[in-house]
Amino acid sequence: MTKQAPGVRIDGLTVVYKTPAGELPAVRGVSLELPPGSITGIVGESGSGKSTLALSLLNAVQPPGRISAGSVDIDGLGDVVGLAGEQLRKARGRHIGYVFQAAQNSLNPLKTVGKQLLDLGRSHGVEDLRGLVREAKDLLGRMGLDGARVLDSHQHELSGGMRQRVGIMLALVLNAHLVVLDEPTTALDMITQANILKIVREVHDERGLTTLVITHDIGVVAEVADRLAVMYGGRLVEQGPTREVLASPEHPYTRGLIRAIPRLVGDIDEAQALPGRPPTLATVPKRGCVFRERCALRMDVCDDVDPEAILRGRRTVACHAVAVKEHA
Amino acid sequence: MSVLLESSSTTAAMRRNFWSGVWRVMRRKPSRLVGAVLMVGFVFMGVFGPMFYPDPLPRDVNQLTAPPSWQHWLGTDDQGRDVVALVITGSRYVLLAALVTAVITVVLGTGVGLYSGFKRGRWDTVLMRITDMKLTIPGLPLLLVLSTVWKFNSAVQMGLVLGLLSWGGVARAVRSQTLSLRERGFIEAARGLGLPTTHIVGKELLPSMAPYIAMNMLIAITGGVYAQVGLFFLGVLPYESNNWGQMLNTAVFRSGALTVPSGLGFLLGPLLAILLLTLAIVLVVDAMDEIFNPRLREE
Amino acid sequence: MITGTGVVKTYKQRGKVLGAREVQALRGVDFAIPKGGAASFIGESGCGKTTLGRIIAGLETYDGGEVAIDGVSMTELKPKQRQPHFRKIQMIHQDPYSALNPTRTIHQTLYAPLSLRAKQTGRPASWIEGRATEVLSLVGLDPATVLSRYPHQLSGGMRQRVVIARALTVDPEMLVADEAVSMIDVSLRLGILALLKDLRERLGVSVLFITHDVATARYIGDDGELYVIYRGQVVERGPVDTIIADPVHPYTQSLLSAIPVLHGLEQPGEHPVMPLESLNESQSDEGCLFARRCPFRAERCTTERPLLRITEAAPQEHACFYPERRSVIARPMEV
Repeated sequence: MTKQAPGVRIDGLTVVYKTPAGELPAVRGVSLELPPGSITGIVGESGSGKSTLALSLLNAVQPPGRISAGSVDIDGLGDVVGLAGEQLRKARGRHIGYVFQAAQNSLNPLKTVGKQLLDLGRSHGVEDLRGLVREAKDLLGRMGLDGARVLDSHQHELSGGMRQRVGIMLALVLNAHLVVLDEPTTALDMITQANILKIVREVHDERGLTTLVITHDIGVVAEVADRLAVMYGGRLVEQGPTREVLASPEHPYTRGLIRAIPRLVGDIDEAQALPGRPPTLATVPKRGCVFRERCALRMDVCDDVDPEAILRGRRTVACHAVAVKEHA
Repeated sequence: MSVLLESSSTTAAMRRNFWSGVWRVMRRKPSRLVGAVLMVGFVFMGVFGPMFYPDPLPRDVNQLTAPPSWQHWLGTDDQGRDVVALVITGSRYVLLAALVTAVITVVLGTGVGLYSGFKRGRWDTVLMRITDMKLTIPGLPLLLVLSTVWKFNSAVQMGLVLGLLSWGGVARAVRSQTLSLRERGFIEAARGLGLPTTHIVGKELLPSMAPYIAMNMLIAITGGVYAQVGLFFLGVLPYESNNWGQMLNTAVFRSGALTVPSGLGFLLGPLLAILLLTLAIVLVVDAMDEIFNPRLREE
Repeated sequence: MITGTGVVKTYKQRGKVLGAREVQALRGVDFAIPKGGAASFIGESGCGKTTLGRIIAGLETYDGGEVAIDGVSMTELKPKQRQPHFRKIQMIHQDPYSALNPTRTIHQTLYAPLSLRAKQTGRPASWIEGRATEVLSLVGLDPATVLSRYPHQLSGGMRQRVVIARALTVDPEMLVADEAVSMIDVSLRLGILALLKDLRERLGVSVLFITHDVATARYIGDDGELYVIYRGQVVERGPVDTIIADPVHPYTQSLLSAIPVLHGLEQPGEHPVMPLESLNESQSDEGCLFARRCPFRAERCTTERPLLRITEAAPQEHACFYPERRSVIARPMEV
């Protein structure tokens, strides 16, 4: 049974959270395509809606949040927004593997990794459990771990990097070909991070996956992703091929974000923090551009009109200033 | 100068903020308001209630163990006394004893728990062994034994004994809270800044545990009520004054309220009082977390 | 000036009834941070850098060696006597969320240490309020809006600034920033780093920066010293820019190679170094501590431990028998 890497088309996705102040959008009108076999990185700060977007891929947004509009169309599955109950549960794991943040909270501290693997297999009706264990050992071995030992271990016996690899194994062991990694390297050391990213890249190529990486760290995306999508205040502000976006960012936020990364070489004063602070669910503007408060290119139109995502070559950018430049 | 003026009124302003926050929290759910009103009612009952009735209560010899009527809302007892009047006059002993129990439980429990958890080391071991020993003493049998020598004439005495028997759990819980809080950054920072221990315990640790302590206090009140009502109900204590437990005892064992319908009011009176008090406390406990947490208070 | 000589810290591993294993968190570390100077400790988690920082801030004790503040040795002093010395060294915690008491307003948070300070220095109570607004302005916050707030009403970056302001209330000589920006939004990190640098320049406070991200270590200033720590031992030490540009210890080279390359803007170094296996505390203590993971290890490395020293190979101190320069870090693309 060989599956093809599925493509994913997110269209006009809006996710709202119910708060005392009414329903506020955490993700608003996001359209994004994950081409089959690609690694896409979504970058955003806290409150940008990147994790909510990732959860929407599994239709796993928890109340008080709900998907209020849009669709998530996955090859071989259809629109997951319409799935529910048993169908949805089967889809998770079988089709979509989800690796939680540094895999620290997703493992049961009371059970060995092996037991959790068997639980996972049983809940998905896997008949050949031996085969499942063999597959898991292969995967762990592939990632440089001693499979048998790891399956016999409890969570606390594993280091952060090992847990993360276990997380990746659990996401892939049911032969899912769409994988979502949520902050795969947060709280990990640089060397461990480099290892994990290398593994992600290699496993992706070997197994023919479509991978989505969610992170706040542009460096992580730069290292692994083919395509880069930048989120801010629940909106997708810029997306395109990673190298292109990094080499010549168009959206003022992307530019600011790249400038704000401490670098090893070059003039220290060249790197600068963005003024202001990222918006929260409650403070994100309801009308107009979400980034205008911190933007150096702010115009009158930004206050009232939400910038449309415009296609520029292989990228899209949602910014009035960029659109004006285009016409000029 | 303006800064100075502004800050000298900060404390007052904050206090005002706190109470307006409390009001917001209470208003959020009507049930909490009901609880608060009930609670105020009970306090009023305990403090002023007995003043409205002559002591001893008048007896209506024509109506012994009478069923509820317009004249006697919950009927009368076997001596012809009004049940409502009995419940109200009896509330003072019950509530006062329960309050004393709760105060002692919380003060002692919090004190021991805080000291143990904060100091760690040898004192911690000693105090926790004592606490464990205390926790293994079965409360009710000990009370039964105690009641053979001690008459518990005053409510304070009763509360004292009950309180001394029930602080163990709170001490254990407060200790574990303290242990986890003292590892938090802000406690470490306070130590690094050289702030005195009194400040760290009084201003940093205690406020963080306030909802927890307040909750324990309220729950200790119900515990105190149950324990003493139970004692009186079992009839192991002689009773000179009115008491809900003693009423239950008389209703069940002397008036046969469980079989004779006319004694039902007599039985229901104190039961209703205990039920309402518990309800009031449960409803108010629900608001504690939000009252003491500035974030929840505001939203 | 704070100095340490041969600082040793040993933890007993708990939970093992028989043969409680001892873990050496620090194996004789020397350091010196001059008044107004700057230093960075870098290394993987578990390397001992945080333990060392906590010892310097007086939050933890040490088992051997000596720590001296302004020439006064801390080893012989009783805890009560140490306190006034360690007050001069303030810790900035990694997590600005737990570093502030959620039940207290910023005003209350600053007031307590300030009133203590007023008492110590014989200043009037009126000084407190002025100083509170002063320290908040120093860290770039608007006192009028921040003072009456609770921590949860502030963003992570603002909270970290309040934490720094609180540290400033006791007129410290040194700030110890333990991963102080790792929990702060990316777009705001540089703001905090710049603030620390600014405080150094304006107030003459020395800054000790503890991090696993070497790039952030640069931002304390180019006169800063970098200590690369591995398994409780300093393996390389020297001026920040020298070590980043020309590391000679394979461990430092691995750390620097691991920093993500911004493809499109940068090109990777020519000879990146990847350690052979991941950090394992239970590896043998014999020989060079890094030997098991070192791609360049030789016979000698497994039997003899190299000491920190200077050779002709490099201007900085290093603990490696075979120091060699390798181009490991990413360089900006030539346009």
